Amino acid sequence: MASYLMRHYIFTLTALRRAKKSQRRATKGNIAYQPVVSILIPARNEERVIGRILRRMTELTYPKDKMQIIVIDDASTDATGRIAEEYSKLHGHIEVIHRSKKEGGIGKAAALNVGSKHAEGEIIVCFDADYYPQREILEELTMEFADPKVGAVQGRIIVLNEPKNIVTRLVALERIGGYRIDQLARDSLGLITQFGGTAGAFRRSLLEGLGGWDESILAEDTDLTFRLYLMGYKIPYLYDTECYEEAVESWHAYWKQRYRWAKGHMQCAFKHLTSVLKSKNLSLKEKIDGFLLLNIYFMPVFVLLSWITGIPLFFLHPPQWFSFFWAFIPISLYSFVGNFAPFFEVGIGTYLDNRNRAQWLIPLLIFTFLLNIFICTKALVDLTISKIIRRNNNQWIKTPHSGNGNTYIKN
Amino acid sequence: MLPTLTFSILCFGVLIFILIMLLPALLELKMPKDAGPRMIRDHSSHTGLAIEEILIVNLEEKQQFDQILVKNIVDAINVLPNLEV
Repeated sequence: MASYLMRHYIFTLTALRRAKKSQRRATKGNIAYQPVVSILIPARNEERVIGRILRRMTELTYPKDKMQIIVIDDASTDATGRIAEEYSKLHGHIEVIHRSKKEGGIGKAAALNVGSKHAEGEIIVCFDADYYPQREILEELTMEFADPKVGAVQGRIIVLNEPKNIVTRLVALERIGGYRIDQLARDSLGLITQFGGTAGAFRRSLLEGLGGWDESILAEDTDLTFRLYLMGYKIPYLYDTECYEEAVESWHAYWKQRYRWAKGHMQCAFKHLTSVLKSKNLSLKEKIDGFLLLNIYFMPVFVLLSWITGIPLFFLHPPQWFSFFWAFIPISLYSFVGNFAPFFEVGIGTYLDNRNRAQWLIPLLIFTFLLNIFICTKALVDLTISKIIRRNNNQWIKTPHSGNGNTYIKN
Repeated sequence: MLPTLTFSILCFGVLIFILIMLLPALLELKMPKDAGPRMIRDHSSHTGLAIEEILIVNLEEKQQFDQILVKNIVDAINVLPNLEV
């Protein structure tokens, strides 16, 4: 717990320092490297949002003759495939792959693998169907690949439908903490920055060398991140390279999405932890950060364990120094909410984004923190059971998108 | 065992503390004044993306003030070791 506390505070101070410097921007003058790019858009029942992202793809400033857009219609039962086909007819660089009910619907990694096989570009960029990138995003992302040590690049994600309700507002705060502070600091400190699986790019040759996305892992993006780092590649984070996303709008959807992230992340921990610690391609600080990053979803489980063991222990057999109950309050407060450093991250992130009023909502993050304790615990229990009975129950539960973010866009 | 009165005062105090802590959040939810999601940085010459509900007053002045404040904070924390690569 103390190590995560230190980690978050170091990240926040680093991001504050970095706030003074602006990021190098891609302009017509300094673009020397423009490879052919294949954009993968996996979509399953996304009729409310697919039109928006495809329209946006036609507005990107990257040369059309260097772009290939592949929509993977993953066994959709709505009008997703039809809408994508209409765009494909009008724009020659958009193609659609339809997966049947028999072969599709088994997860994003499988859909991406199918799309990757059709990709011809040197660089692959992934967008989820609900995303809305800035027009120059491809120039910004691909510029970094001029460095041969770069394996992937990640841009910043901003919640589009933030004003919708309390769920979207809290998710937006979490995103601000994660992308404005956490990722930025990790990039500045030369630690492990995560490829988020969307609004990011990677080398197609690397993916082929790795054998594609691992379809047995629910967090295929985290898995790719560590596979790249273990091979000695880097993943720069570009905090000025931005893309909107649609956040979940209900607590039910929030639970399902975070459950998938937690379970997937834990799968990555089991898969990569030993390799990260033994790797000759990682520096000591990368190994330490990799260790902390891989285990981060286990921390809420430890908090729950501390409640379960701590409270009855106190009443059954309080040690001498616990009899002074004033010590009990701060200690139990700390063990109750873990540490306040993540909230501090969010606070500074909103301040750097000139969103001071949004800071008023930060105390509500305690509720999402408590919810995540149960989500992570359930994920670990389910994962443990599936390992014991040797059955991989990787049901991909798709995040629903309402298309409500459309009301916040005006061209 | 803790004295009952002390324990009751303690519980009451904790409840008041929680209420005070959540009051600004409840106020913001009831009467939102936050500017909403940040405008995406779009450097194209075409008409940029716009957010429908923006409530920013004197943004430039505020940003100038914030830049000075951030500079002062950074100068203050520069006494700490710089771990950046």
